[in-house]
Amino acid sequence: MNEQVSRRRFLGLVGAAGGATAVYQASRAMGLLPDTGKPALLQLARAPKSGNKVVILGAGLTGLTIAYELERAGYDCTIVEASHRVGGRILTLRHGDKIDEMGYDSVCRFDDEPHLYFNCGAARIAGHHHRVLHYCRELGVPLEIMANDNAEAYTHDPDAFGGRPVRIREFRTDARGFLSELLYKAVDRNEFDKPLSEQDRLNMLEFARAYGELNEEARYKGSKRAGFGQGTDGFASLGLLKDPMDLSELLNSSFWRHSMHFNEDENWAAPLMTPTGGMDKIPQAFAREIQSPITLNAQVQAIRLRDSGVEVAYNHRGKRHQIRADYCFNNIPAHFVAGIDNNFPETYAKTIAGMYRNNFGKIGLQMKSRFWERENIYGGITFTRQRINQIWYPSHGIHRQKGVVLGCYAFGRDQTAFFERMTPQERIRFAGAAGDKIHNGYSEQIDTGVSVMWGRMKHMMGCGSTFRSPEEWEKLFPIVQNPQGRHYMVGDQVSYHPTWQEGAFSSAEFALQHLDQRVRAAARA
Amino acid sequence: MIRNTVATLALTLLLTLHSQACLADDPVIPDDKFVYCTVCHGMQLRGIEQLQAPRLSGMDAWYVRKQLDAFSKNWRGAHAKDYAGMEMRPMAAILSAPEIAEAADFVSKTRSPMPEATVAGDAVRGEKLYTSCGVCHGTRAEGNEGLGAPALVGGSDWYLARQIRNFRDGIRGASPADMYGVQMRAAASVLPDDDAVDDIVAYLNTLQPE
Ligand SMILES: Cc1cc2nc3c(=O)[nH]c(=O)nc-3n(C[C@H](O)[C@H](O)[C@H](O)COP(=O)(O)OP(=O)(O)OC[C@H]3O[C@@H](n4cnc5c(N)ncnc54)[C@H](O)[C@@H]3O)c2cc1C
Ligand code: HEC
Ligand code: HEC
Repeated sequence: MNEQVSRRRFLGLVGAAGGATAVYQASRAMGLLPDTGKPALLQLARAPKSGNKVVILGAGLTGLTIAYELERAGYDCTIVEASHRVGGRILTLRHGDKIDEMGYDSVCRFDDEPHLYFNCGAARIAGHHHRVLHYCRELGVPLEIMANDNAEAYTHDPDAFGGRPVRIREFRTDARGFLSELLYKAVDRNEFDKPLSEQDRLNMLEFARAYGELNEEARYKGSKRAGFGQGTDGFASLGLLKDPMDLSELLNSSFWRHSMHFNEDENWAAPLMTPTGGMDKIPQAFAREIQSPITLNAQVQAIRLRDSGVEVAYNHRGKRHQIRADYCFNNIPAHFVAGIDNNFPETYAKTIAGMYRNNFGKIGLQMKSRFWERENIYGGITFTRQRINQIWYPSHGIHRQKGVVLGCYAFGRDQTAFFERMTPQERIRFAGAAGDKIHNGYSEQIDTGVSVMWGRMKHMMGCGSTFRSPEEWEKLFPIVQNPQGRHYMVGDQVSYHPTWQEGAFSSAEFALQHLDQRVRAAARA
Repeated sequence: MIRNTVATLALTLLLTLHSQACLADDPVIPDDKFVYCTVCHGMQLRGIEQLQAPRLSGMDAWYVRKQLDAFSKNWRGAHAKDYAGMEMRPMAAILSAPEIAEAADFVSKTRSPMPEATVAGDAVRGEKLYTSCGVCHGTRAEGNEGLGAPALVGGSDWYLARQIRNFRDGIRGASPADMYGVQMRAAASVLPDDDAVDDIVAYLNTLQPE
């Protein structure tokens, strides 16, 4: 480097040539930025001089990642996307945004304020999603903590506790208390099958006492973990314990069957993160960095495998266009592939067509006031056995006038089918009525709402195709994961865990590494 | 037998030609407002079984108009058990009368290869059973506009089988105002057994469009 060029000017030049990421990487190399986290996931060889034309079908997260990585390695990429926007199942709705549900095209009527948005698809990132976090770091997407688990939120079951919502902390504490008391007694009486050493036995008794906060007599008589009762708050008045709930009533409730342990799942355990301002900051950051042309409103019509490449036809503005490329990365949802004119070999076509089409749906409600905060709830999730399943309270925008809550989260095809058959207005009304069972006056607080049932969304019609049985994973998944000629299927659908962005990134990683090995082998030959 | 071999040969030839055809060939390009039809029914409305959306390529415009009308009048897609019909109903309900005509025109101009056979049945028995159907649908299942009976050749077989069962079970053709549906429902009610449905469809699979 010329001594005369200042570091700053050098970085300016790098930026002009290679964009923000190049600046970031150069800064790191120069020791100007702390080297945090894992190194880049991929070390792709430079693209060959000829035979480096790539066409990417679909600008979902996977397609964007592939374009981003390949153009940096010197490939000539083109992206063809059917929708009017990039990002696929990453959709953050704000004031004035289009909701392209087929049959019910509409516009989001949230107030025009930065904190009033709703993540209709991906919303959460866990600390071990290291590929997602790698790209957020590299692209400079700011993240914030998002409460997933909140002891002050409610559990609600129309058939338990007289239909009254119960604070999660109270339920959890009492359930543990009862369990601990039982455990204590069993250990105390040596009712274990396995013999315990005396030390183990004593430790186990202490464990039971600590786990459920048992009293001196090793009985569960309530705990302050459940929150104070009898009108006391433990600050201005001496905190008095609540009486434990009725055991059989507690057992009658459905909460412990699933939801109580929901937030302990691998991908849902607290804390979780989310990009500040909406999940679409991730696809937007990719789109900003990517230089390759992205054609929107361009629906792929035909795919032809050829000996030394792939031909693709798409429609755009009433005209048919054709692209010939050396490689094709296909990010289109698997259930659409059979609807595209193609010459795939039978096994390949059948395997893709045979994948199970999964489905999810969410409803977002803009509330006139943040009434939940007056009920001590700041972020987190209320669980109910009603069809809406969950209510999410926003972790951001605390104490502002309004907020957008998630008013329903439907999982899987059976649950979403129920909502898909309603009009969007009916869905909002349904979510409002369900919310009324939990919060007084809930439905009156609704300003406006949005519902995104992915099974009805244009160019999507589902969420994450997948395999289900172990035999299918073993036999069929490799058929989809490996390329057919120079055509690669990609997307979270080509991962072991679709419906997570980490799955989308891992699919991009697999395909890119595969291509890279191929290119390297060809260069050696 | 010979007839079959010739048909198979012709089909193979057709498919080979098709797969070599230039991608820039200009089949009908939908107007932006009808792109969503292709999202479920596939490019050129070739049909997507996973979405339960049948092949519509080249379907007679008069019949498409009628069905779009039937969906918007809740004759189809409103029965509690008609899950596939419910997928379609809102798609038709948003169309104005002129748009229905435009959509039907678009559908009738689409082209795609003949669908694959997926339903297994006894085509020989099916041929016999079909005699009663041919009265309305035509001996070669080519359809009869005057009777309101659509062509059955070239339809997705899994879809045709579902429709026959829907008529038989009163899921389609149940509304008294749906005159043509009611007639077809009566015709389906005389089928001797459930296998008859697959047998007839297996027979329809052996027919080729004129
Ligand atoms: C309700 C919901 C909640 C979720 N929650 C989370 C979460 O909390 N955390 C998380 O990490 N992940 C979550 N996910 C999953 C995450 O959104 C996906 O894993 C990720 O967005 C998938 O990206 P993709 O690239 O695989 O495909 P997609 O986003 O499905 O992209 C496919 C693209 O193909 C395009 N396309 C379709 N047809 C054509 C055609 N004919 N021609 C050209 N283009 C076409 C589509 O328009 C789309 O842009 C959630 C998803 C949903 C739906
Ligand atoms: C959301 C998916 C979806 C979309 C979008 C869609 N359809 Fe359908 N369509 C279906 C399904 C599923 C069926 C089958 C219904 C049944 O089995 O009863 C169907 C059936 C039909 C039928 C009846 C066929 C017959 O043989 O009777 C016609 C006609 C039709 N669609 C036309 C259209 C047109 C035109 C459009 C666009 C304006 C369209 N569809 C959009 C899913 C869809
Ligand atoms: C009396 C005349 C008549 C007879 C006989 C008849 N059909 Fe029909 N069929 C109709 C009419 C009319 C329709 C269109 C109904 C509508 O408009 O919804 C129809 C529709 C159908 C459809 C739905 C096609 C589609 O694209 O959705 C199928 C399948 C069908 N008939 C099969 C049969 C079979 C099999 C038989 C013999 C068992 C038969 N029909 C006998 C009149 C008849």
